[in-house]
Amino acid sequence: MKIAFINGSPKPAESASEIIINALQARVGQGADSITCNAIKQSRAEIMESLAGSPALVLVFPLYVDGIPSHLLRLLDGIQADIAGAAAPGAKLYAVVNNGFYEGRQNGIALEMLQNFCARAGLAWAGGLGVGSGGMVFAAPIGHGPMKNLGKALDALAANIRGGTAAGTCSVEPNFPKFLYTAAVHLGWRLQAKRNGLKPRDIKTSR
Amino acid sequence: MAKTLILHDLPQSEAEALLSNLWAGCTVFSASPAVHPCIGCFGCWIKTPGKCVIDDRGAGFLTLLPAQDEVVLLSRMVFGGVSPDIKAVLDRSIGFMLPYFCDRQGEMHHARRFDAAPRFRYVFYGPDITPEEKATAQKLAAANALNFGAERWSVQFYQSAQAGAEALA
Ligand SMILES: Cc1cc2nc3c(=O)[nH]c(=O)nc-3n(C[C@H](O)[C@H](O)[C@H](O)COP(=O)(O)O)c2cc1C
Repeated sequence: MKIAFINGSPKPAESASEIIINALQARVGQGADSITCNAIKQSRAEIMESLAGSPALVLVFPLYVDGIPSHLLRLLDGIQADIAGAAAPGAKLYAVVNNGFYEGRQNGIALEMLQNFCARAGLAWAGGLGVGSGGMVFAAPIGHGPMKNLGKALDALAANIRGGTAAGTCSVEPNFPKFLYTAAVHLGWRLQAKRNGLKPRDIKTSR
Repeated sequence: MAKTLILHDLPQSEAEALLSNLWAGCTVFSASPAVHPCIGCFGCWIKTPGKCVIDDRGAGFLTLLPAQDEVVLLSRMVFGGVSPDIKAVLDRSIGFMLPYFCDRQGEMHHARRFDAAPRFRYVFYGPDITPEEKATAQKLAAANALNFGAERWSVQFYQSAQAGAEALA
């Protein structure tokens, strides 16, 4: 069974989306012929070619301004008329959206947009997962410690993708308290700013 | 007089025909032709705080935001949200907020960089906007307002760009 993953992070490397795709591919397992496209590095034509004949499409991307990153939105807008004809008949769309804020449910609007996309494109919306505190995937292996919940959610999603069944919509947060996540992210910003030669107060400039 | 910034996605000729009567009183920012998409580098928070590091006209919208009382987004409706051209401008403008988290209504959001935020008025146009898309757009506008620290927002739907533009006059 062919499964086409689309990475919708515009980062050149080291995206949370990439790590999530790798974890899903490991869970979908052997026997699946999986292929990964990248919405920023590849042209629309190249991506359409990769999706051809696929019964399962899996979009994995970061939440941007409560929605879909512009380059990925442009791709979806551009392929809505042709995608159903190119993918396998009855092809299903799954999605994993990760965000920077703690609550995974904040990805719900982006998931709804994908459902609206499916209605226009003639694809079957098969549901998806909102992953809160997405940057935490760099803190521990998925399935362990603070990433335990995410591991379980991806196990369930992978089983649905493999079985061709609808996944419904759900969201997860890390097994890690919100106040510690906040403290860690805030410290991270200060350290990164310092590496760029800035003082902590420069971050707050309003000039 | 209240300061209004209009962000639209109309091609230049159409913008001239539909919006030129508004140009005197407002600042108009065209999302078309498309600006470079955000590359997710967070430079607007930790390299050049409050400014996008990509050097094209897409960086300009953010610099206009703090002075406004109202921002109007005249956008083609796409899947319950704004069009790719408008979205490219919005994605490039998160430096309007600080990278630091705060709590709003029990949810995590970003702290404000500036004391006040403009009102957001969404004017969506499209010949066949579905009820589902309208419902999503309402949620999006509320979420965007919360995220940009805006206290007030509104959402309107029109069948054509012309009808939407006329509503602004
Ligand atoms: C332009 C931009 C807009 C963003 N908007 C949101 C947002 O509205 N809500 C949120 O929780 N996170 C937001 N984020 C944070 C990203 O979703 C988060 O950093 C994510 O983990 C990045 O995933 P990636 O590494 O796969 O690109 C935004 C990030 C950027 C660069």
